[in-house]
Amino acid sequence: MDLIRIRWKNSWVYNLQDTLQGKGSTLAVLVDSINTEGSCGDLALEKPLYEPEILILGGGSAGLTAAIYAARARRSVMLLETLVVGGQMRDTQTIENYPGFASITGDELAGHMAEQAKGLGAQILSFSPIRAASLTDDLKVVETKKAIYKPKALIIATGASPKRLPLPSEELFYGKGIHYCVTCDGVLYENNVIGVVGGGDSALDAALFLTNFASKVIIVRRHNYFKGAASTLEEVTNHPKIEVMYNWDMIDVAGDDMVTSALIKNTITGEEKSIDLAAVFPYIGTKPKVDLFKADLALNAFDYILTDEKLESNVKGVFVAGDVREKDVRQITTAVGDGTIAALNADRYLKQREAAATK
Amino acid sequence: MEVNVYSIPNCPMCNVAKEFLKANSISFIEHDVASDRQAAKDMIVKTGQKAVPVVEIDGEFIIGFDQDKMEELLGL
Repeated sequence: MDLIRIRWKNSWVYNLQDTLQGKGSTLAVLVDSINTEGSCGDLALEKPLYEPEILILGGGSAGLTAAIYAARARRSVMLLETLVVGGQMRDTQTIENYPGFASITGDELAGHMAEQAKGLGAQILSFSPIRAASLTDDLKVVETKKAIYKPKALIIATGASPKRLPLPSEELFYGKGIHYCVTCDGVLYENNVIGVVGGGDSALDAALFLTNFASKVIIVRRHNYFKGAASTLEEVTNHPKIEVMYNWDMIDVAGDDMVTSALIKNTITGEEKSIDLAAVFPYIGTKPKVDLFKADLALNAFDYILTDEKLESNVKGVFVAGDVREKDVRQITTAVGDGTIAALNADRYLKQREAAATK
Repeated sequence: MEVNVYSIPNCPMCNVAKEFLKANSISFIEHDVASDRQAAKDMIVKTGQKAVPVVEIDGEFIIGFDQDKMEELLGL
């Protein structure tokens, strides 16, 4: 069974040759369209094709757990990861809420999960960002720079990335005072005043981490409360180097080559003022990585993928796990739960298809 | 080909950049800008930014981890 890829209206369209020979309809229609559109067809497959039973996109806690369960169900499993395995766990210094470990680093926990998945036979491919995806009930195709994948079932666990701070000068000062990784760039601001924007656990953790280098850390908080864990908030409130500015919103940053100040506005009185600081680390939430699935999958108003109780999307055989789907609580433990549910239901879906095929 | 990596210990994206070079069997010189003040100064002057990782391939600077750009400059 060969896969055919054709360029049509500036995007890639996939079809199966046996569909062409058997019913002849879909591809014939496409070929007609190509002729009338005047685009050129490309009927050769120039990359290797892999057909795992289950393909997993994303190597964070959700994807790695799905790989463990899918491999234990004796399915052939491939996992594509854009960078290296670990996802947002890699950005976390110490994890203290994953049962079984009172305290563990993100790298260590990710390493354990990846080793377990590999040991069970899952193939994990790092540095494999996906370039295109086409998902239908009958056919799922995912393409990277080097290969094309045609799995029988797909689990999307691509996760989420930090939201950029919506300031007029954000892009101008990106890397020059606006930074999104405290463990990377924090140390470059030794003995400086550093600002943190946000109200969740990530913002509180970032502020605490920055006290290792900063002369002072200012948390700019739009509301008069935080959403993070009470224990972390207590530590922040009692820290001599941290000042919390409740009911203030950061509206811009300023400086010459590098940031030297931020403009803030009181959310109650409307008063505006400038505060001196050398850097701002925003932790204002995340946005799901769904760009390549928008055409095929149903999303909510914030672009998170909608799923049913089985964690299946609107496309049959496409399951979703972790931060990329619409849900309330986003933790490593809930991502692990999602990975489990998605993999077991993907296995069930394949069993049903196999049973139907033998009838 | 000379490859320099300006990085900080425990910085996730620095580790990604180094892992990528290792996965492609490319040797590189690592500069820890957290402890090596001169390297930190050089990096900030050359890139105009205070952000890691910075990967220098034959005099060209890549700020952050950019797989496409690295593959292009390394001829991968």
